[in-house]
Amino acid sequence: MNSKLPELLAVHELSGGYGDIQVVNGISTRVNAGEVVFITGRNGVGKSTIAKLIAGHLPLASGRVMVCDRDVSAIPAHGRRHLGLGYAPQEDVVFSELTVIENLTLSFPSRSLDRYRTLFERFPFLHGRLTQKAGTLSGGEKKVLSFCRAIAENTKLVVLDEPTEGVQPENIATMSAVVRRLTERGRGFLIVEQNLNLIRETANRVHVLDHGRIVFESLNRPGLRDALISRLRL
Amino acid sequence: MPAEIADEGTFRVRIEDGRHVDLLGTYVLNQLYITAILVLVVLGLAVVFGWLGVMNMAHGEFVMLGAYCAYMVQEAGWHPLLSLPLAVVVTGTVGLAVEGSIIRHLYRRPFDTFLATWGLALLLREGVEVIFGRGYKSVDQVLPGTVDVLGIPYPAYRLVLFSAVVLAFVGLFLFYRASTLGARIKAMVTNPVLAEAVGINTTRLAQWTFVFGVSTAGLAGALLAPLVRVEPFMGLDYLLSSFFVLIVGGLGTLEGLLIGSAVIGGVDTVASAILDKSAGYIAVLTVSIFFLWLRPHGLYSRR
Ligand SMILES: Nc1ncnc2c1ncn2[C@@H]1O[C@H](COP(=O)(O)OP(=O)(O)O)[C@@H](O)[C@H]1O
Ligand SMILES: [Mg+2]
Repeated sequence: MNSKLPELLAVHELSGGYGDIQVVNGISTRVNAGEVVFITGRNGVGKSTIAKLIAGHLPLASGRVMVCDRDVSAIPAHGRRHLGLGYAPQEDVVFSELTVIENLTLSFPSRSLDRYRTLFERFPFLHGRLTQKAGTLSGGEKKVLSFCRAIAENTKLVVLDEPTEGVQPENIATMSAVVRRLTERGRGFLIVEQNLNLIRETANRVHVLDHGRIVFESLNRPGLRDALISRLRL
Repeated sequence: MPAEIADEGTFRVRIEDGRHVDLLGTYVLNQLYITAILVLVVLGLAVVFGWLGVMNMAHGEFVMLGAYCAYMVQEAGWHPLLSLPLAVVVTGTVGLAVEGSIIRHLYRRPFDTFLATWGLALLLREGVEVIFGRGYKSVDQVLPGTVDVLGIPYPAYRLVLFSAVVLAFVGLFLFYRASTLGARIKAMVTNPVLAEAVGINTTRLAQWTFVFGVSTAGLAGALLAPLVRVEPFMGLDYLLSSFFVLIVGGLGTLEGLLIGSAVIGGVDTVASAILDKSAGYIAVLTVSIFFLWLRPHGLYSRR
C-alpha cells in the first residue's frame, strides 16, 4: 500500500498460544496510518489469540510486535496502551460492577465526558444509561460501550475484537462510519470481524485466518465478498 | 433489672445503695469500642483478602509487628506518636518485599497463597522471638485518665482510638465510593485483563493495595499495643477474629465489614459476660459456622 504513511503496527512472524498449545503460527501484518485492516476466519482459528498477543495479554512464543516504530514485544499491556495501542476485547468487554460513566472515564485523569460528545450523538442510548451498572446493559450495548471507550482513548492504533457481535444493524453502520471518519484523521484499525458486509464497506485490506495461519489476503476490491465466502468455506 | 430513661437520655440502673450506674451506657460504649478495634484489625484483611483474593494467614503477624514497633519506640524513649509512622513503614516495607517476591506470583492461586502466607507468619513469629524473646512486653498507656462521655467516665485512650477508627473508616468508605483510584481497584479486581487494556498497571496497583492492607494491620497493632500483651504469638487471635468477621459480614464491601465486626464483637462480649472468655470463643465459632452453612456469602456481600 502507501508506504509513505507512518506505520502504526507491524507484526513480524508472530506465534503464541496458551501454555504449550501454540494457536497462532507465524503471522505477519501491518497497519499504516489511515488504514483499516481486518482479520476474519471461522470460529476457533486463532483470531482473538492474535489480538491478545498484539495487545499484550498473552506472552509471545516468538516474533515481534512494533507499535509506532517501537518494539513493544516485551512491554506489558498497560504500557502498550500508553504507547498508542488501544484494545477492545471480544469477551468481558466492560467492568460490570462499575457504572457506565465510570467505564467510560476510568482511563482518563478526569471524569469529564467532553470527549464523548460526538459519540453520544451517534449512540444516544449510552448517554441515557450513564449512572447504570455496566453489567446491566445488553450484550450489544456493552459492545458499543466498549467501542466508544476504545475510540475515545484516542490511541493512534485501535485493535477491536469482534466489535459488532450482538450489536443492532443501525449501530453497526454507525460504528463503520466512525471508523472511516477516524482513519481520515490518521488513526489506524486492526479489526477481528466475521461480518462480511462490514468488511466490504470498511476495509482497506483483509486477512483470512485458518489454523493460526493467514491463508488468504486481499485488498478491498470488487468481488472481495465472494472471494472471502469461498475462502471461509474451505 | 428495672431500667428507666434518665434526663440525660442514658439508661440508668438503680442499685440498692441508691447510686446510679450507667450500665447500659457503659455497655454500649464498650461494644462500640470492641467493634471499632475489630474494624481496625479486619480492615487490612478485608482489603487483602476481599479485594485481592489473598488469604493472608500472616495478617495477625503484621498486627504483631506493629505492636512491637510501639514497644521499640517506647524502649528508645521516643514520643509514643512515632510508633504510628514506624509501624506503617516497617509493615509496609515487609509487605512490599513479600508481595514483590512471593504473593505477586500467586494471585488467583488461593491454596498456594494460603501456604506461602502461613509460612511467612511462622517466619515473622520466629524472627520476632529471636530478636525480642518469647516473653510478653507491655507498652505504657499513652493517655492515662478518663473523659466523661454522657456522664460516664471512659478511658481517654479508648476514645481517641475509637474516633481514629471512625475517621479512617469513613475516609476509606468515601474514597472507595468516589475516587478514581477506588474505581480502578474495583476494575482490577473484577476484570484484570480489561484493566490492563485501559492502561492500568495492575501489577503495581495490586502491590500497593497489598501494602496498604498490611500497613493498616501494622497501624492497628501500634494503636492496640498499650491495651494488650505484646508477644510473638499475639497475631493468631486477630487472624481468627478477622476471618470470623469476614465470614459473617461477607467479602468485598465495607458495610459488611462493619456489620460483621458488630456481630462478632457483640456475640463475644455477651457470651463472655454471661459465662467466661472461652464461652465467647465458642459462641463466635458457632456463629461463624452457622454463617458458613446458611449464608456462605455473608450478611452483606456483593457476590
Ligand atoms: N484461554 C484459553 N486457554 C486455552 N485455549 C484457548 C483459550 N482461549 C482460546 N483457546 C483455544 O485457542 C483456539 C483459538 O481461539 P480464539 O483465538 O479465541 O479463536 P477465534 O477468536 O478465532 O474464534 C481455540 O481452539 C480455543 O479453544
Ligand atoms: Mg474470537
